[in-house]
Amino acid sequence: MSAALSKEQIYGFWGTVGELLRIALQAILASKMRSFLTVLGIIIGVLSVVAVVSIMQGVFAAFFAEFNQLGADTMFIRPNYEMFKSHAEGAKRLKMTYEDALAIKDGAPQVKDVAPFLMRGDTIAYRGRRDSTQIFGTTEPYLTINNLNLTEGRFLGPMDVASRRKVCVIGQDILDKLALPSQCLGEEIQIGRGTYTIVGIKEKQGGSFGQSQDDQIFVPLTTAIQQYGQESADSVFIVAQVRDATRMDDAVDRISQVLRRVHALRFGQQDDFRIFTVEQVKKIIDQFTGISTLVVTAIVCITLIVGGIGIMNIMLVSVTERTREIGIRMAVGAKRVHILYQFLIESVTLSTLGGVLGLALGWGIANLTVIILRKTVAESFPPAYVPFWVVLLSLGFAAMTGAVFGVYPAVKASRLDPIDALRYE
Amino acid sequence: MADDGLLIDVKDLVKDYPIGDSVYHALRGVSLQVRRGEFLAIMGPSGSGKSTLLHLLGCLDTPTSGEYSLAGTPVHKLSADELAELRNREIGFIFQMFFLLPRSTALENVELPLIYAKVAPAERHKKALEALQFLKLETHATHRPNQLSGGQRQQIAIARALVNKPALILADEPTGNLDSVTSEKIMSQLAQLNAMGNTLILVTHEPDIAAYAPRQVRIRDGLIVSDETVAARRGGDA
Repeated sequence: MSAALSKEQIYGFWGTVGELLRIALQAILASKMRSFLTVLGIIIGVLSVVAVVSIMQGVFAAFFAEFNQLGADTMFIRPNYEMFKSHAEGAKRLKMTYEDALAIKDGAPQVKDVAPFLMRGDTIAYRGRRDSTQIFGTTEPYLTINNLNLTEGRFLGPMDVASRRKVCVIGQDILDKLALPSQCLGEEIQIGRGTYTIVGIKEKQGGSFGQSQDDQIFVPLTTAIQQYGQESADSVFIVAQVRDATRMDDAVDRISQVLRRVHALRFGQQDDFRIFTVEQVKKIIDQFTGISTLVVTAIVCITLIVGGIGIMNIMLVSVTERTREIGIRMAVGAKRVHILYQFLIESVTLSTLGGVLGLALGWGIANLTVIILRKTVAESFPPAYVPFWVVLLSLGFAAMTGAVFGVYPAVKASRLDPIDALRYE
Repeated sequence: MADDGLLIDVKDLVKDYPIGDSVYHALRGVSLQVRRGEFLAIMGPSGSGKSTLLHLLGCLDTPTSGEYSLAGTPVHKLSADELAELRNREIGFIFQMFFLLPRSTALENVELPLIYAKVAPAERHKKALEALQFLKLETHATHRPNQLSGGQRQQIAIARALVNKPALILADEPTGNLDSVTSEKIMSQLAQLNAMGNTLILVTHEPDIAAYAPRQVRIRDGLIVSDETVAARRGGDA
């Protein structure tokens, strides 16, 4: 009397999986609040990782963009702080000066131009309005080396540097900060305790890495040293531009020799300076990205284990609560694998949905954080960016957690005796 | 013993349950033959072993010793998964507590055995609807169990038992949770099923209910004490 079924009527493995998926969704949606609480661990795990990674990726992307803009023909030289235990000690013990920059210009023919610069945060004031900004003490090649343009006036000239003139070139943000008149060339502003005349306005550049490049004022290096003292004169950074970007390594070697001679380093003694080319900076960023990826992966693993235990806990409760259902299914012909897959698919579906929710919330929180950071810390904070691999990774991990931690409850369900399960009150 | 009409052939069925250090003998050697199309009531007080016999006949359990062949299949030799397949194909259950899935609709409940029989959705809907139509419940197809009366729930369970056209329908105290009017309706529907050729085994301790079956087997202390065919009281449309 058993029904004879044709081939079309019998549908195979995927049909059964689809059926079990439908059953799983039905069970999940039947108790939405509990399902939500069950996967809360996974949601929070994925959410935090996505939020952190997307903000970090945004920063990295902006950082790369900045260095790309800088060009492959420039390099950055600073004291080798890494020689000392702390950056502060290095800053105190190491010297790099205007004279070093001049020595490089004279001694390295590969170098087209050199600009020493020092940075100081200071207060600024104009007709009773007070604020603060970043002061750059530098020389005239800084403009061309960094591909900067002016909207009005002129940049610092050789005479400004030579005679320590109290002149300055301001970034666009300063116009607002000090409420300067539209025709502000020739106006005098206070920088710290000095009075400077505005001679130029830099073109709007935007910003990156949380630092607006328009919230700056440029003054002659010599004037800055006069104002900030000997300590500032000994902590100068240098940017250099080479004639031929393809022969960067030659230039680095030559500059290295020059600086070792000027600093009177003996043979075998460690360099007390470090030269960064765009390539090297990229390598460092890659290293940092690698480390942070490792850290993020570790966080993912920990949170997902915690989340997975939450899932296992509730799935075990669910199996106990639904013992009668399991008995009914077994009575009408469900095999052990059917019950096993039913609960396994339920926990995988549950955790994957948690992953999707966490992904969406994480993306939202990252964007919200960026908006808040832009309002409070830096207007130019880079937008959050969720790379595709993060989407795949978090969903994959979430699903895997559901599978791994769903096995035990599912096996427990499938091993139930049909009679005991039916009798269960 | 090769008999084309023989559906159930049970020989010396023994079922022991360990209770602590001792052993409880639920069935002490039961032999029973049921032909296709029979309607049989198994009666006995609680603790008599009738539930154990029902579980064994329903392929939910395997005997400690003895042989059971259902439609020529030696059930006592099967694995758990083979038993599941046999239950799915050959047996329809009707329980005292209905045992419907509370979150599923009437139609989905009736479809349940077909899911495990791997019947495609369209075919499944059609068959389940036919079973509901047979019980005149097609208008309640989308209702959930808690929206239905006890009698209607049991009818859904009957539809579920029928849907895969099993060789054997097992009813365990099917009217135990119903009032007398509804009980009569359910019993006459079961009798009607038998009249259409379905083999039916009813387990009950109520003589009124057992009276619907032409053959009555009494069991006590794990042994069959009587097996008699009587003139059945065919329930009318009362």
